[in-house]
Amino acid sequence: MENGLATPLNAIRESIPFFIPELILSAGILLIIISGLIRKNNLVITFIAFSIFVSLILLLTFTWNDAAKPVTLFGGMIRHDSYANYFKLLFDTAALLTVFMTWRNKKQEHLSEYYALLSSVVLGAHLLVMSVNLIMVFISLELVSISSYLLTGFSFSKKSAEGSLKYFLFGSVASAIMLYGFSILYGLTGTLDFSSAEFFKGLLTIQSPLFLISGLMALAGFIYKIAAAPMHPWSPDVYEAAPMPVVAFFSVVPKLSGVAILTRFIPAIDIQGKSGYDWQLIVVIIALLSLTIGNFSALWQKNPKRMMAYSSIAQSGFLLVGVAAFSGEGIHFMLFYAAVYLLMNFVVFLYLQVFEFNGVTTIAAFEGAGKNFPWPMVFMLVALISLTGLPPTSGFTAKLFVFSALWESYSVSGKPLLLVLLVFGLLNTVVSLFYYLRIPYYAFIKSGQSPLKTNNLTFENFLGLILVLAVLYLFFNPELLMGWINKITFVR
Amino acid sequence: MQDYLISLLIFTPLLATIIGLVIPARAENSFRWLALAASLIQVLILIKALQVYSFSGGLQLVERQNWITLNLGDWGLLKAEYFVGADGMSLPLVILSVVTILIAVISSWTISNNVKGYFTLLLILNAAVIGTFTALDFLLFYLFFEFMLLPMFFLIAIWGGPRREYASIKFFLYTLLGSILILIVMIGLYVSNRNPLSTEIVVHSFDLISMTDPANFISNAILDPNNTWMIGPLDARYWAFLLLFIGFGIKLPMVPFHTWLPDAHVEAPTPVSVLLAALLLKIGGYGLLRIAYPIFPDAALHFSWVVGLAGVISIIYGALNALASKDLKRLIAYSSVSHMGFVLLGIASVTAEGIAGAVYQMISHGIITTMLFLIAGVLYDRTHDRMIANYSGLSSKMKSFTAVVLVAFFASMGLPAFSGFIAEVMVFLGAFKSNSVNGLLHESMAIVATLGLILSAAYYLWTLQRMFFGPFHLKGGIQESQITDLNTREYGMLIPLVILTILLGIFPQVLMNYIDPFAQYFTKLVLQVGKELTFNP
Repeated sequence: MENGLATPLNAIRESIPFFIPELILSAGILLIIISGLIRKNNLVITFIAFSIFVSLILLLTFTWNDAAKPVTLFGGMIRHDSYANYFKLLFDTAALLTVFMTWRNKKQEHLSEYYALLSSVVLGAHLLVMSVNLIMVFISLELVSISSYLLTGFSFSKKSAEGSLKYFLFGSVASAIMLYGFSILYGLTGTLDFSSAEFFKGLLTIQSPLFLISGLMALAGFIYKIAAAPMHPWSPDVYEAAPMPVVAFFSVVPKLSGVAILTRFIPAIDIQGKSGYDWQLIVVIIALLSLTIGNFSALWQKNPKRMMAYSSIAQSGFLLVGVAAFSGEGIHFMLFYAAVYLLMNFVVFLYLQVFEFNGVTTIAAFEGAGKNFPWPMVFMLVALISLTGLPPTSGFTAKLFVFSALWESYSVSGKPLLLVLLVFGLLNTVVSLFYYLRIPYYAFIKSGQSPLKTNNLTFENFLGLILVLAVLYLFFNPELLMGWINKITFVR
Repeated sequence: MQDYLISLLIFTPLLATIIGLVIPARAENSFRWLALAASLIQVLILIKALQVYSFSGGLQLVERQNWITLNLGDWGLLKAEYFVGADGMSLPLVILSVVTILIAVISSWTISNNVKGYFTLLLILNAAVIGTFTALDFLLFYLFFEFMLLPMFFLIAIWGGPRREYASIKFFLYTLLGSILILIVMIGLYVSNRNPLSTEIVVHSFDLISMTDPANFISNAILDPNNTWMIGPLDARYWAFLLLFIGFGIKLPMVPFHTWLPDAHVEAPTPVSVLLAALLLKIGGYGLLRIAYPIFPDAALHFSWVVGLAGVISIIYGALNALASKDLKRLIAYSSVSHMGFVLLGIASVTAEGIAGAVYQMISHGIITTMLFLIAGVLYDRTHDRMIANYSGLSSKMKSFTAVVLVAFFASMGLPAFSGFIAEVMVFLGAFKSNSVNGLLHESMAIVATLGLILSAAYYLWTLQRMFFGPFHLKGGIQESQITDLNTREYGMLIPLVILTILLGIFPQVLMNYIDPFAQYFTKLVLQVGKELTFNP
């Protein structure tokens, strides 16, 4: 009996050193709530949130080499490896940028609750990318989701409440489906640890349609988080309803966490290629659908937030192209894409917020903005060009990379659908150009009214400049990031 | 040997762009002088480069630096280089670019709306055009190729005519579609290709020159010439060639992918039309000669009749459209479609004459079309009306202008003593010879293409008769006082072009010294390698 208790306790004790970032986050959440209760000083709360994410980024950067050897923690619940660490860094960077954006939004109410929820999403995302256990996946996914539902409502308007409720309804259905899928998988294999040999063995022996259905059900939950078709319809409404920093955050953190867990989960149900069902085909179809639906729906949008929502659906498609290659290189390139996606998306949202402050809430209202706001518009143009995937931006490099991996995968397997994805995915770029150019089109080409005198030396322009330079720099020197990514060994 | 002349050519305008950015927008004249200074410096650099260049052929003025080296694990190494150089085809095109851009800058002197933005974009375009013509690394080529699109889009969209928005978006979408097709092939090529120098680790390079050697492909890769990989009914290499052909064909433009051109040309301001017609179209022909043909010679020989046919259709269809055009600029735009068809026909013949003719036609068309668009600009500046039917008997009021128009029209028609004649004769020689030498094109193609000459004579002479001869009268609310003869600046732009086209018409050797070694080398390479690959798949 003594021994029985000592083993798990020991496991927990040994796991703690690898769990420090999450502990910092949890402590931070409590600190934010407490300080919100004691004194409602917005600056202090912002500063706490800021220091949490800065310290997390520093910690993760400096302990990067420790993660080289994957360790399974808490008795097979989560795994600490460089793959998860990389995503955590992206989440924390995104959260830090969100803090900056929120700080600029002087009108944001209930700041302590807001930051507590924001940090909870990040905590959930942290746990999700580490999870190797189905229960853990569910819990962390719910942590991300429930906090997100609440964050959507933080504009405290009718529309915002509506978006929040829609998100919640869709989300709970998706979670339920996913959980049902998990339960069948558990029934089939007798284990919840989807990285274990037992899980593989269990699936290998049962190649029944039930396996296909349960796998698809589980995927549905992830695809929902990624906002990939056909589980995407919530995203435009939610994006429209939520405050701008939250939208920027949603477009990156929950999405990337979904992609991350999908990438971990797919090889497990693919049983290293031995599965009777072609999961690669399924990912290819999801990617194709997301690309096409996202890009074509974005064409008709009049609201920049809705347009960016569809854009982010299409971008999920591009991320999934890397996953669909089903190769180590494909995943590496997807990681590169994820980082670039974070940068360029935040530039766009950063300036959408600036324009929102100036009363610009429709695409048509950007008329003449090129004259009045030269810097923001030029930076936004670079980011949009990068989202389209034209050189000389790293968006191009990222697309080049993921599609190269797809080509290589095609040359190995010869599956015609991969070629279809390659051709249609790239041709989608032409469609996307049409809507990505619409804001610059109104801003630079339609002549606006009286020129305003605006100050170019703002915090946003400084931050935007750094992000834009990073977007451009990674085109000319992708080795910088790829050298780092190449060290990530993706263990199936 | 490392040479820095081409880099200087590319980076001079970029440096000027950076200088321009710190000058306040109020100092409008400084931007004009800055762009002019950049162009003049480029002329000096070019003169130096021409002195260094020897006629013996082959790649010269080469510069090679590592750019991106990425370790891809099991995949090997991805290697892109900053690799530029010039040969007998690209150097004449660079000369053309430098000259045309100089003239375009002078022609832009009258632009008064947002001068800073305009000249900044013009300078970026300048660098991108020269970069495209000299890049020998596929990624670098693609970078410059795409880099042209955005400045061009804004130049048309902001400073263009009434339907500029439609025209600019159409231009952008068409060209981007073309470049995506090229991108697909680029991905396939670099994944399939390996650098022969490194034996232990696979180096995927973007080097366009090494891709021309079938030995440099990884065996069993999709685009490996020694391996058949069928996609549907065709070999993957055939598909790749077709993608490149359409991609560059859109740029060229070739019928039926030409519809962006009349709109873009008509709406663009004069200097931008000049750049578009004189330089950007040439990139289509350049791409076929630099990338599509040498890398996929087997497919090129297989599809030569398609290329030839597309050329012939462009020649006839463009000419017929020009005949029906009511707008002078539209007429010139369609004549461009028609004349670029000769480039396709010449390339398709894969004979030394045909290839040399195609390159010569690119240069000649560049000079002549610059003249034509400037002529249309001269008229438009005065009256803001380009309708042919609104003018009559202009020769009585604008004597020197009519003289220049006569030269330009006759040169474009392909009359002897003008550069167009030499180019078209060589293309015809190649097209006629092709059947007996390599059996690629049937003589009937050349025969049908000659109809294009007759049609071009028809539309030019008819235009001359309608606009310049007969009794003087004007319609459409144009005042007689608006009709004045050329001013000094216009003389300064047009006279050098007149001299150039006559010079190249009488002494073709000036240019042939460059082009001929390239044409010989190119023909040999494509025929030899292409036949080898076709017979031993």
